[in-house]
Amino acid sequence: MEMKWEKKGCVFDPTQHGLPFGCFAYAKGPQAVAMDGFRRVYFSSCSQDSSRKYLSNVCYADFSLDFGEVRKVNRHEVIALGELGAFDEHGIFPVHIFRGEQRELWAYTTGWSRRVSVSAEGAIGLAISRDLGRTFQKVGVGPIVCASLQEPFLIGDPFILKVRDAFHMWYIFGLRWISPDQGHQAERVYKIAHATSTDGINWKREGLPIIKDSLGSDECQALPSVLEVNGIYHMVFCYRDAVGFRTEPGKGYRLGYAYSLDLVQWVRNDRLLGLPLTGEGWDGEMMCYPHLFDLGGRIALLYNGNNFGRNGFGLAILQSDINEHIIR
Amino acid sequence: MNNIPRFTWRKLGHLFSPESSLAPPWMHTHAQTPSVLQRRDCLRIFFCTRPPADVAGLFVSLIGFVDVEPNNLTQIIRVSQTPVLDLGQRGSFDEFGANPVSITTTENNDVRAYYAGWTRCESVPFNAAIGVAVSHDNGDSFRRLGPGPVLSYSLDEPFVIGSPKVRQFNKTWFLHYAAGCRWLKQYGRPEPVYRIRCATSHDGIVWNKEGRDIISLRLGADECQAGADIVEFKELFHMFFSYRQAVDFRNKDRGYRIGYAVSKNMRNWTRSDSSAGIDVSPEGWDSEMVSYAHVFHWNGTLYMLYQGNDVGRSGFGLAVLDSYEA
Repeated sequence: MEMKWEKKGCVFDPTQHGLPFGCFAYAKGPQAVAMDGFRRVYFSSCSQDSSRKYLSNVCYADFSLDFGEVRKVNRHEVIALGELGAFDEHGIFPVHIFRGEQRELWAYTTGWSRRVSVSAEGAIGLAISRDLGRTFQKVGVGPIVCASLQEPFLIGDPFILKVRDAFHMWYIFGLRWISPDQGHQAERVYKIAHATSTDGINWKREGLPIIKDSLGSDECQALPSVLEVNGIYHMVFCYRDAVGFRTEPGKGYRLGYAYSLDLVQWVRNDRLLGLPLTGEGWDGEMMCYPHLFDLGGRIALLYNGNNFGRNGFGLAILQSDINEHIIR
Repeated sequence: MNNIPRFTWRKLGHLFSPESSLAPPWMHTHAQTPSVLQRRDCLRIFFCTRPPADVAGLFVSLIGFVDVEPNNLTQIIRVSQTPVLDLGQRGSFDEFGANPVSITTTENNDVRAYYAGWTRCESVPFNAAIGVAVSHDNGDSFRRLGPGPVLSYSLDEPFVIGSPKVRQFNKTWFLHYAAGCRWLKQYGRPEPVYRIRCATSHDGIVWNKEGRDIISLRLGADECQAGADIVEFKELFHMFFSYRQAVDFRNKDRGYRIGYAVSKNMRNWTRSDSSAGIDVSPEGWDSEMVSYAHVFHWNGTLYMLYQGNDVGRSGFGLAVLDSYEA
């Protein structure tokens, strides 16, 4: 049985709210956080630097509890980009918010810095908010997770879940850069992996993909989001072809799904999610960067649509039992 | 420490130059950061060297070696005809080469090369992280342990992790390295400031960073420190490192010199650069700069390999211990 969703459509268009720092488009990687009397969604929006290259900046929008109304957006800097030469000098996308102790919010960031032979390198940083999520201060100039012996580049997309005393992180790492043909820019291949920690800062990694490929070995998997419901762990992520994904219909991002009973073995079955591309509307050609979360006792999904979230993010609310299809 | 030792070195000459007739064409310029492997048949000196620059004027750096006669260390008997390690794969930390290199041997007689891998960046010229390659044939050929680095960036070591010097004492592995702390941009081309740091390990692969600068500053807040080579001698640990000004350093006055620090325990170091006992020559290949010392025991005494002017553009030389006062 596939899950049944009520699609609420696009709930936030970044061009309609006057985002700061010249952010002219994009609201990528929405992450919902329940606040006192409202819901805040953090995301990354894009400005352009003097060379007209994009810089991703962390922004947020505050919604009414039912997502029916946008009440305000940030007018200030939420998380500063990195200093000269730092891993997050050229952008932060995505950001994942984890609720720490003593009303702290921890922002796990994916920082980007530009390279010469390939477009960019990514690593995971940490910034902490002690003002209820208005601003975040970095724990250090450097990252907490970056390239290692078996994960050579492109570390990013962290999602954190604390299960009993252990921190779990799902994230992605790059396997290789490929060059489809002469003159074509290098394209990356990356996979979802898993790490554990006792403090949320120092991580033990396994260096292995954990989600089976459905598009072959060059499949790119991104932005895992995990929700526990009655002892079952559900992961929604996105995946795409390594080449042609920007322009060719059918090769761009789609939503994938896997579940786990033990946080170790994951069973992938994208069809069960019940959110295929429809070919029509704001999310007809692409669905990506999902966040699965609890919306006042219902299960909800924020995600981006066509063009990698250029026109904002949308909401879907689950109408069926998410555990219905699980064979224990 | 009350009594700081004093070394004096006697220079034995310019041992190898990339301009030598022995150098194959890919050793076009520079022979930097020498590091010794003691073999039965010879002393093998690994170093980093550069083929001609690309159209943009940029270099890559490759690891090669010369073998010298065990009973006459200034006599070269063989030069590697090819690099011992290829460049890293696209997008990886060592795509544009390796420099410096530091050699050690494991318990099961594998030879390991620790090297700083170089990548090219947009806003700053480069970044570095430390990788490991292993040889099962006594240093003739090497393969990477993995495609990524073994020592990379962390919260308070954000970039430019380089200049590895690996040593093993009492079954503990020590990696002394340079960690970048900031980039200076007010002088045109950005230049990094970096300091000597230390990590320890039980296997040479999984490292615990100590997370502190271990050598006090002498040239002010922008002093750069690197190449911390350590030798155990007369029941003390002696560190010969390199230091320079952060900017405008490609000249005699502000370029690299060899500094010195001493320790009883490998943790706390007392700096005393005047004890290093080696400086630039009045003229010649090492008259403007001496740096990246590598000190080793041989034939009952200590020898020092070091690079000369312009961070080893013209190669490296050899010195022997002349006197040691404790």
